[in-house]
Amino acid sequence: MRRLFIALLFLASLPFASAQDDPLKVAFIYVSPAGDYGFSYAHELARQKVDAHFGDAIETVFVEAVPEPDVEPTIDQLVADGADVILGTSFGYGDGILAAAPRYPDVIFGWGTGYQRAPNVFTYMADLYQPYYLNGMIAAGLSETGQLGYVAAFPISEVKRHINAFTLGAREVNPDATVDVRWLFNWFDPAGTKEATEAMIAEGVDVIAFTEDTPTAIQTAAEYDVPSFSHYASMVEFSPETVASGHLVNWEVIYIDFLQKVLDGTYTSDNLSDVDYFWLLEDDAVELGSEPGVKIADAFVEPLQNTMVDHPELGSISVYDLVMDRHDKMVAGRDVYDPFLGPVVDRNGNEVYEAGYLPTIGDLTSLEWAAPGVVGAWDNEPQ
Amino acid sequence: MLPFRLEKRGVPSAGLIWGVSLAAVAVAMLLTGVLFAFFGVPPIEAFRTIVERTILDARGLSEVVRRAIPLMLAGVGLTLAFRANFWNIGAEGQLLIGATAASGIALFSGLPAGAMLPTMLLAAFLAGAAWGLLPALLKTRLGVNEIITTLMMNYVAIYIVRWLINGPWKGPSLGGFSYTERFAPEAVLPTIGTTRLHWPTLLLAIALALFVAWLLARTRFGFEARMMGESPEAARYAGVNFFKTTLTLILVSAGAAGLAGFGEVAGIHQRLVDPGSLSLGYGYTAIIVALLARKNPVAALVTALLLGWVAASGDVMKISLGLPSQITGVTSGLVLLSIIGSEPFLRYRLVRREPARTPSEAI
Repeated sequence: MRRLFIALLFLASLPFASAQDDPLKVAFIYVSPAGDYGFSYAHELARQKVDAHFGDAIETVFVEAVPEPDVEPTIDQLVADGADVILGTSFGYGDGILAAAPRYPDVIFGWGTGYQRAPNVFTYMADLYQPYYLNGMIAAGLSETGQLGYVAAFPISEVKRHINAFTLGAREVNPDATVDVRWLFNWFDPAGTKEATEAMIAEGVDVIAFTEDTPTAIQTAAEYDVPSFSHYASMVEFSPETVASGHLVNWEVIYIDFLQKVLDGTYTSDNLSDVDYFWLLEDDAVELGSEPGVKIADAFVEPLQNTMVDHPELGSISVYDLVMDRHDKMVAGRDVYDPFLGPVVDRNGNEVYEAGYLPTIGDLTSLEWAAPGVVGAWDNEPQ
Repeated sequence: MLPFRLEKRGVPSAGLIWGVSLAAVAVAMLLTGVLFAFFGVPPIEAFRTIVERTILDARGLSEVVRRAIPLMLAGVGLTLAFRANFWNIGAEGQLLIGATAASGIALFSGLPAGAMLPTMLLAAFLAGAAWGLLPALLKTRLGVNEIITTLMMNYVAIYIVRWLINGPWKGPSLGGFSYTERFAPEAVLPTIGTTRLHWPTLLLAIALALFVAWLLARTRFGFEARMMGESPEAARYAGVNFFKTTLTLILVSAGAAGLAGFGEVAGIHQRLVDPGSLSLGYGYTAIIVALLARKNPVAALVTALLLGWVAASGDVMKISLGLPSQITGVTSGLVLLSIIGSEPFLRYRLVRREPARTPSEAI
């Protein structure tokens, strides 16, 4: 009888005990399977790091391969499961997130790469334009023909910004370098990527960069011994010999910062209207590297150290040192160095940013122009 | 020799069809349960969660019906075509073109509020019908196999939509993303509460099913269509006008798929989006809806709900049970496989061999 009483007492105390230690439940929604290389995989790696960082304070779950129109019912199910924070990682989730958010005013929503906020919806982005700029310098340093190639997903502002940064970097090393751009009109298109890569190599391109969700460009370029760059996460394992460097994203830096502020009460479900992360090298949200911690793959260090350029500002300098100079300055802050600091002229000769003007984040996220040296079709280009 | 043999049945009774179909679903659930157990999810609990989230929960139920709407419209249309032996595999393309026509009206017509939705609906129906017309003409005039032509027309439709949203119809306010602008409120269908259940389209689907059932059972056109399906030789001999009947039935069948496209853009997306997001393969699933319904338009309403439920259950498995995304495809495959596999039980019965007979008598 006494034992039963104790057991009942224990059971009665359970709801209170669990209410106190209830971890913050954080749900991630991915647009493709988490195991695939590319965008969703980078978020999945970040989720695992968030899990490890917060221990028992946070419980994470993820839902993969959610088509854009299905994000709203997915949110309904996640809320029913008790999610406190829901992070929709894809631009196309915006309609669904903004429709569901008013229905669940106590739940916090994040719209990755999005642009519209609400009291319980914040937006976030880890932008890669700075590492792409450094990749462009490396590419021009390695190229013999001066012809670089870029396989691009969609002509949206983000991708245009990255192509421009890559091209400006290439031109800083070789003022005659060109960047041939091929559009896929798709985020995931291994067949199209292979075709575009091979076509450009056949035309004399000897370094390849890309924005597409698979390692296909790296694998195809490797067949011709053409250097390429890791995209989002390390892709070195697909071709250890030819991946020269890359642009890596550390989404966990943003996630940990945000969730810490949720845990300590700074961010709540009614003060997020102005919370917009646009984090860069200086925030450690993105990184130059073929793999984490390796800025330039070993085999490419010496060739870049031996390639000297005559730089208008820094005099005779090796490409390697030039890359590191720019890298360290960008890590110090956008006000120390930014590739888009005016004067910037587009490929049609229009002045885009006047001398001394540092474009705002808003300028960069609505960018439409094409840098001098970019070759190929360019949707919605200012004439 | 086996102690049993198969004996052909006559026309299966409604009770038998229901019994066998339910048994097939039960077998599928059993197999799915085994799959759950392999992934370390207790099957009973898993099914309870699925039922709680999809049927006992109002919002979950609204999603089941919401997914069933395009399957109903396209599926009902297909029952009519299949009855007449016109193998329309092109509902997907007809749906997409219907959605495109409705979007075009919504974005560019500037019609007043009262005329907007009816015009979109009409445009979607006519565009879907027109998309089916070409394969119908090729079949009746030149004898080209409609399975090939309707299927190929799907790809043409996919690329037309892609071209529009990447090119002339791309919304200027979206920073280069491939969508059109959002429709104005007068071009959006009402929904029940805050759900996404666009009820006018549901009513339309029910009305269409009843209309097609009436066409098939009570009209001269329906009689001729059925005769073309069941005995083309007899139909020819009886003087059925294959050309006219085929064109009429494709008008209704492909037009219905076009209406499904109207429902998706005006009810769900509120803009024209990528074909992969727009339809989630509804046009192909509708083929299964029509065949499971044994080409009966009213039964297609029920099979559409069943497949809508399978899709919604897949979401629950993925989200609440933490199963990998590929599992949803596997489970819906199991349901379809067991239902299709149950088909012989409707046509044959298993009888015990009588031991004294000679082999020749047994045949």
